[in-house]
Amino acid sequence: MKQFTTVLKFELTNYIKNKTYMLTTILMAVILGAMMFLPHFIDMGNDTDTPAKIEQSAQQEDLDQSSEENESVDFQETKYMIFDPDQIIDNTLLKVYFPGIAWQKAENDQQVRKAIENKEAKAGFCVEAQNQFTYYILNKDMDNNDPAVFTKLLGVIKQMEYCKQKKLNFEEVTQIFQFENEVQHKEEILGKDMMSNYFYCYIFVILIFMMIIMYGAMIATSVTTEKSNRSIEVLVTSTSANSLIFGKVIAGAIAGICQMGIILGSILISYQINRTGWNGMLDQYLNIPENVLIIFALFGIGGYLFYAFLYGAVGALVSKTEDINKSAGGLQMIIMIVYFVVLAQLSNVDGIVMKIASFLPFSSYSAMFTRAAMGAVELWEVIVSFLILAASVVVAGLIGAKIYRMGTLRYGNPIKFSQALKDIFRKE
Amino acid sequence: MKLEVKEIKKSFGDIEVLHGITFEVESGIALGLLGRNGAGKTTTIRILMDVFKANAGQILLDGIAFDRKKHQIGYLPEERGLYPKKTVQEQIIYLAMLRGMKKKEAVQNAKKWLERLEVDQYWNRKLETLSKGNQQKVQLASTLVCDPEIVILDEPFSGLDPVNAQILKDVVRELIQHKKIVIFSSHQMSYVEEFCDDIAIINHGEIVLKGDLQEIKREYGRHLYILNAENYAVAELKEKCEKELDSYMTVQDMKKEFLVLKLREDIRREDFLEAVLHTDIVIDVFGNYKPSLNDIFVAKVGDDASEGGKK
Repeated sequence: MKQFTTVLKFELTNYIKNKTYMLTTILMAVILGAMMFLPHFIDMGNDTDTPAKIEQSAQQEDLDQSSEENESVDFQETKYMIFDPDQIIDNTLLKVYFPGIAWQKAENDQQVRKAIENKEAKAGFCVEAQNQFTYYILNKDMDNNDPAVFTKLLGVIKQMEYCKQKKLNFEEVTQIFQFENEVQHKEEILGKDMMSNYFYCYIFVILIFMMIIMYGAMIATSVTTEKSNRSIEVLVTSTSANSLIFGKVIAGAIAGICQMGIILGSILISYQINRTGWNGMLDQYLNIPENVLIIFALFGIGGYLFYAFLYGAVGALVSKTEDINKSAGGLQMIIMIVYFVVLAQLSNVDGIVMKIASFLPFSSYSAMFTRAAMGAVELWEVIVSFLILAASVVVAGLIGAKIYRMGTLRYGNPIKFSQALKDIFRKE
Repeated sequence: MKLEVKEIKKSFGDIEVLHGITFEVESGIALGLLGRNGAGKTTTIRILMDVFKANAGQILLDGIAFDRKKHQIGYLPEERGLYPKKTVQEQIIYLAMLRGMKKKEAVQNAKKWLERLEVDQYWNRKLETLSKGNQQKVQLASTLVCDPEIVILDEPFSGLDPVNAQILKDVVRELIQHKKIVIFSSHQMSYVEEFCDDIAIINHGEIVLKGDLQEIKREYGRHLYILNAENYAVAELKEKCEKELDSYMTVQDMKKEFLVLKLREDIRREDFLEAVLHTDIVIDVFGNYKPSLNDIFVAKVGDDASEGGKK
């Protein structure tokens, strides 16, 4: 135990003295934590489809109308072309629906096309009929919704024309047809809200995958480096292989958990402080229930340790650090498969695939956590799955230590994992 | 203290690499554990260090089963290796603590040994910044830092210049004087002859020769004589002897300075000398042959050589 503690302290000191580790931890925690204070500097309430936005939009319309009267020119306006031979489009409405756009009338569609090709205008519309138009643009952005807005505009123009013909009050009709905006409802979710839990589950699945891959590789490299610089012979003759591998893996686990804990803690605490400022915008990502966090922590640590021991063993099977990828390929493949299966099944967490995956030690670290967060899972299932995982961690630790002991003093070509397993179970 | 290795056998898979190794070593008497590359020395040492389990046989210390965990062993492996990016003090203290020392004691001992080996000025320097010889001395300090009862030195002199080699020689002598059990493995036979009273030669996983070095030398030199002539070069002398003195002797070896002769049965040295005097050979040197350890080693394990070492 004393030797294990000595190895643990030594390995932890290695992490603490590692500038990359410390800088990454501190910078990520400070930067991401500081980002949660953005509402103090930037208004975060202007990009949601809320009643506040509709009201704001109406105010904007008034402002635009008044600015049109003043005919003041916005220097930052983007130039759009319009060819409307039948005078279908109402210029006032055009300004309302496309705020911040300077419109230039064209004589024909060729003029519109040419202006865009010559980059004299950003985009253009050719209105062929009340229900038909062509939209021209050079390069269309991902978030470009000009055609949809223009379609809506044509719809409104048609509605206004209809009201005028039938001598109806357009505002009143509009109010009736937009009655759904006034409907209020309450929602009481008695079980779990899959929608709101989906995003942080998604993030946590990625997070634990990254941790296992990143720290697993670091542990394997640490073992192989000791083998390649031959310090391993001194180490295994100074203390037990179990102390060495357990010390290394637990140190890696503590370093990983501390790094992740500090960064996540910084984000979550900062968000809680500034939650009102964010208008609850990030709730679906960051307002994580405590029980979900606890299950994530337990299964995350379990899965991490399970793979860390196997990575330690894999590191002992090669003599050169450049051979680690060859040796760890199979292990990485399993982790990748688990990752993709869990992500693919996030919308069907109560399906048979996730049920099986949540009990297998290779995948339960990710599958059981998502089931617990989003699906219908009984407490006994969580407990049984965790016990299987915990037992598997112990078995992986013992097998890892045996392979480590067997592999550390064998140099030359990489030893296959299957061969190593056969060797450790062969009676000496 | 007396360490006894008895009938140790070890197999890797279906291949038995040690076929019953037996030797013993006592406090204050260094044992030279010799053998060609791949003979089984390192495997034997690793079994002593409890890295491998023997398939059969036993190791006793003062007649009681040897428990490696209860005794301090200082092992300097042939393949040197410490942490190149760590400072000298960090790694020596770490290794001392791994062997059960308290930090304070580890620091004291580390300082003592670095000073003794004249590398104490590198206390806070990273190992990779030191010369090969100084790295070797740091490794030796890490071997001895735990004040071991048993010291196993595998090729301790490789890479050392004559000055550093002298420092190490003094240290090894001190260890022997302080009644440590010293097992010394080297291919540099002159060092083995200098320190070791006993030797054990391993070949293909078996002890092929063991015992007191001086007795072994005497035994190997029995009935062997050296002869050199003033008026013949060694090669010419060999030809002359084989032509004119064949009924008295056979030439066993031709060294740079002399011939090694073995007298035929019933031939006394006086008879041989008389026969020589009847030739035109002018004797420069004639006397008993004292073989070097190198000669004994080559004679014992050199025949089935496949990778050099044969004279």
